[in-house]
Amino acid sequence: MLTELLTALEAVATIQNFLIMAAGIWAGVVIGAIPGMTGTMAVTLALPFTFYMAPVPSILLLVALYKGSTYGGSVSAILIKTPGTASAACTALDGYPLARQGKAGKALNMALYSSVVGDFLSNISLIFLAAPLALLALKVGPPEYFMLMLFALTTVAGVSGTSLLMGLVSACLGLLLATAGEDMYGSFRFAFTPDMQAGLNVAPVLIGLFALPELFKLIVFRVPPPNRSAEIGDDHVSRRELRPVIKSLLRGSFIGVVLGAIPGIGPSAAAFFSYGAAQRGSPRGANFGKGELEGVAASESANNGACGATMIPLLALGVPGDVITGVMLGAFMIQGLTPGPLLFQTNIHEVYMLFIGMMLSSVLLFGAGKITMRAFTTISKIPASLLSPVVLLLCLYGIYAINSSMFDVVVLLALGVVGFLMYLLAIPTAPFLIAFILGPMIEENLRRALATSRGDPLVLLSSPITWIFAALILFVIGLTARREIKKAQDGKAQPQ
Amino acid sequence: MNLAILRGLGTVAFFALVIWAMIPVYVPRPNFIPGFAPPPDFWPRLVCWAGMALGLVSTIMAVLEQTPPVDPDEAVEATAPVRTLLLRFAAMVAALIGFTLLVDVLGFLLAAMLLTAAAIALTGERGRLAAVAICVLALPFGLDVFFGEALGTQFPAGALFR
Repeated sequence: MLTELLTALEAVATIQNFLIMAAGIWAGVVIGAIPGMTGTMAVTLALPFTFYMAPVPSILLLVALYKGSTYGGSVSAILIKTPGTASAACTALDGYPLARQGKAGKALNMALYSSVVGDFLSNISLIFLAAPLALLALKVGPPEYFMLMLFALTTVAGVSGTSLLMGLVSACLGLLLATAGEDMYGSFRFAFTPDMQAGLNVAPVLIGLFALPELFKLIVFRVPPPNRSAEIGDDHVSRRELRPVIKSLLRGSFIGVVLGAIPGIGPSAAAFFSYGAAQRGSPRGANFGKGELEGVAASESANNGACGATMIPLLALGVPGDVITGVMLGAFMIQGLTPGPLLFQTNIHEVYMLFIGMMLSSVLLFGAGKITMRAFTTISKIPASLLSPVVLLLCLYGIYAINSSMFDVVVLLALGVVGFLMYLLAIPTAPFLIAFILGPMIEENLRRALATSRGDPLVLLSSPITWIFAALILFVIGLTARREIKKAQDGKAQPQ
Repeated sequence: MNLAILRGLGTVAFFALVIWAMIPVYVPRPNFIPGFAPPPDFWPRLVCWAGMALGLVSTIMAVLEQTPPVDPDEAVEATAPVRTLLLRFAAMVAALIGFTLLVDVLGFLLAAMLLTAAAIALTGERGRLAAVAICVLALPFGLDVFFGEALGTQFPAGALFR
């Protein structure tokens, strides 16, 4: 392993790769810092550009954007109480009060240190856990894969939005859309036009679904501009301030790694979980929410700690844990790499290059955060009324450039409308996208399992692994349903 | 009828439409399927049946008032009369349709400029003229040059300029 890592280090350590990662991290931090721009948007907007790059640099660019935007989300959370990404929501709880006390710089620095530590530990876990998991995955067949993907879909449906049922409906819509095009026996399904015979491309579907509804929301509802940005102020974090935070920082990183590695959980849940754990365990727990550096550290170490870990199921099993890794799965496929256990046999060099690149990106994240800090107050003030139309423009050019196809542009715009309607109906879009990406694999594994078992559906419960996944699916459904029924009853009990 | 009931019934209706109206027409079955492999319409039907069942359960839950409340951060807030909101939505959809139609006539660059201008106007932006000019004129031009020169993408020129 050490030899492979050294060889990969040599291959990654080029000026070109360094510049790509630096640009990705920096752009991610800037995009994450802009309210309304999310990490998902950053990664999806960059996807068309990766078509023209070699496999490893293109994935490194997306990973760098992911990490940068996850940290960048904390900037607007701290300065204007508007989390740039959902995973930075907890950061705002203590970050903004700190900014109001004239300690915005301190909070930003603490967020940066915590993000870098969480990110580094997450990368280490990726390096040591992905390969053994991939080895294990080689021993499983189509029924196990089918159940694993079903589990991933159920989890994503359970944690997206407020209703498990609507999450599952969204997943069904995604699975249905994924059937469009030529099936494995040469039949054309839902080929309404000749363009649809090849099916729908991933990029226009996901960019349409995630980037464009924001523009529609802005146009239709004319959301008022965010609060005034706070000044940076005192930015030095002393050793005395750092020492009591270390425990929460390390615990947050660990929580991020564990929750990030489970498909469907991701950085947002990790940040909330870590923040809650830090509040309960800290002697200054009562001060959380009023401007406590430990709260910022707990939230940020966990959300960045989850970033690298979400790559574990993606690389080892070929199962994306969240929307961003779903986009990355698309990028891998576009580049001719198929994530999953076989990747560790056929493309081990690329895998180790990716590992090394991810480690380097932790260092770059630190540099980008430090350099950009003073500019943050300006970045956070970019008006959404100009930003969202510019995003639309980037989407149009980016999507057209992939295949020189107006059909892809039409799909992009149509999915933008669909995404907005889903928002109006409170149907989450994340399960739709994950289902759309996993759909062909789920179907193929189900059909292979049924074909080899002479059509017996019980093949899906024929091994201990399938039983474990079935139990996990029932557990997730039971847990989510219980939580939702309780919420509904609480909602009814509250006076109108 | 509240939104949750309407949403549940809409879900049932959509998947029913796919099962009984679209799959028979748009998912042809080949004459020969090897071995015990399920036919091409097996998976879409299975997904639609699952979707229909979920829609039905969702409707029942809504009727029994067991639907969880929407997250306040995600809740749709009517900032103007519904008529105005619908008009804004229709205007944006019209702008998108207009773009796809105008590409053939004006070309990608001009159509993209017009769409960006329409989108900015629809957001309610009335000031910052210099920034708007950059977004509407310079940025599309820059993107056109970047994709065209650096990446070799040929954008549609439009019937007027051929």
